Amino acid sequence: MTTPLEMEKQRGMEAAEVPFGERTIIGWQGVRCVLPPGWNVTGFSLDRDSGYLRVDAPGNSTMTVQIRWTNAATANPGSPSLYALLAQRLGKRQRQQKAPVQKPDLKANLEKILKETAKQARRGKASFESTVKPEKTEGEHGERSAINFSWSGGGRGQGKIWYCETCHRIIVAQVVGLAKDQAAIATVASQLFASLHDHAEGEHDLWALYDLQVEIPQDFRLETQDLRAGYLNLTFARGGEKIIVDRWGLANVALKKFTVREWFTRHARLSLKRLAVEEDESPQGHAVTHAVGRFSLLDRLRVLRETRGSLRRFPTLYEGGAWECAESNKIYMVQVLHSRRTPGLWQEVMQRCVCH
Amino acid sequence: MRLPLKTRLYYTVGKHLPFLKIRPPNIDRQAVLTLRPGRNSQLSWEKQETGETILSVPLKPQGGRMGRVMAKWFRIPENLEKRVELDEVGGYVWELCDGSHTIESIVQKTGRHYKMNRREAEVSVTTFLQMLHERNFIGFYKKVSKRA
Repeated sequence: MTTPLEMEKQRGMEAAEVPFGERTIIGWQGVRCVLPPGWNVTGFSLDRDSGYLRVDAPGNSTMTVQIRWTNAATANPGSPSLYALLAQRLGKRQRQQKAPVQKPDLKANLEKILKETAKQARRGKASFESTVKPEKTEGEHGERSAINFSWSGGGRGQGKIWYCETCHRIIVAQVVGLAKDQAAIATVASQLFASLHDHAEGEHDLWALYDLQVEIPQDFRLETQDLRAGYLNLTFARGGEKIIVDRWGLANVALKKFTVREWFTRHARLSLKRLAVEEDESPQGHAVTHAVGRFSLLDRLRVLRETRGSLRRFPTLYEGGAWECAESNKIYMVQVLHSRRTPGLWQEVMQRCVCH
Repeated sequence: MRLPLKTRLYYTVGKHLPFLKIRPPNIDRQAVLTLRPGRNSQLSWEKQETGETILSVPLKPQGGRMGRVMAKWFRIPENLEKRVELDEVGGYVWELCDGSHTIESIVQKTGRHYKMNRREAEVSVTTFLQMLHERNFIGFYKKVSKRA
């Protein structure tokens, strides 16, 4: 069976023409791309509707990839009316259908970006030049209108702006570097633009950074993140339900003093005393310490406090698992706090978590 | 990397007079990665079987002449030393601080040895080296090419 992640890999490989393992897969807030090996996320925003992602080249290189996106459907200028606010709350009961999203003026958006870049170049007392290519239609179903552009002045950049009719996102992606890096910029840019996707093909978003690749159901939103050297945590929420993904580095050092089970017990969201703990196997063949059980009354009260009294998708069940990946020298832990309506959520996420 | 006297002076004064708003010198990241950390020769160290490294840091007698008199009075041994324990990864980096490896090569070796992501290795190694430098356990050297 081919998992969506494998399909993703195949798709990415076809697009980028680079063998797997010799590249970096980046996935954040529905945006995903393939870059040369060693490139890493150094800046990001938590917002899904409007945000940015910055990926830096390794070592001494000064090249960066900057991706910005805004959702044309939610980007509503001016203050919302009382009706609009009530309509949002009422959701499905709203009689009127949503107004079709108007195609944004890409040229105007691009001009604004180039103006800003020119201003910066002038501050550095460098002459600024830009080239904008004519708008064209792209994508498998012609859902993208895109404009390629490049600029030079205090550096060099090659980019693309497009609007996707499927997800209504306006994406601006550019590779920026020093003037002397012209050839390298062009290579990275072609790899980036061939592999950059603005929305997931299936029902799962790919979240990939720092050797972690996991696919999370699209309706879960990133709630918190903690990215430290050697430790990475992403917490997603849908109503009261939560998916918590942790990844520790230096597993060989950490597991000198603890077993995986002890590590799991120490870091699990709930006390494992009352839960059924068993050994399982991950898709990559690692032994997984897997715990399943119901919330105690105290845990339910704690969750109720966290959800501020909201009973939407109120979680009553816990499922979690931890495993050591010797190949990547890392410990992975996936925990799910879910309601009765979503059995198998942990399996769904764990199966889509790639450790090596 | 030795900074010019003027910059050092401004920086030292700025620490005590914050209203002067003297910014720390702007050092290029690329230049930092070419520096070579070297251990303080006054420190002794040994590697334990468990993987940890123990540093023995000699302590200076404090309090000047009065301090020495007091130390004699209370029979405090003269050769006092502080012991600092480094974990396995810290010990690995410490061993590489021999003045011949650049920060870049230490980052690469640590990343490869512990299968760490390049960025993670760089952040953790540079933070660790900075901490060692603040405690005067290491110094940074810059290789200067010989003039003809």
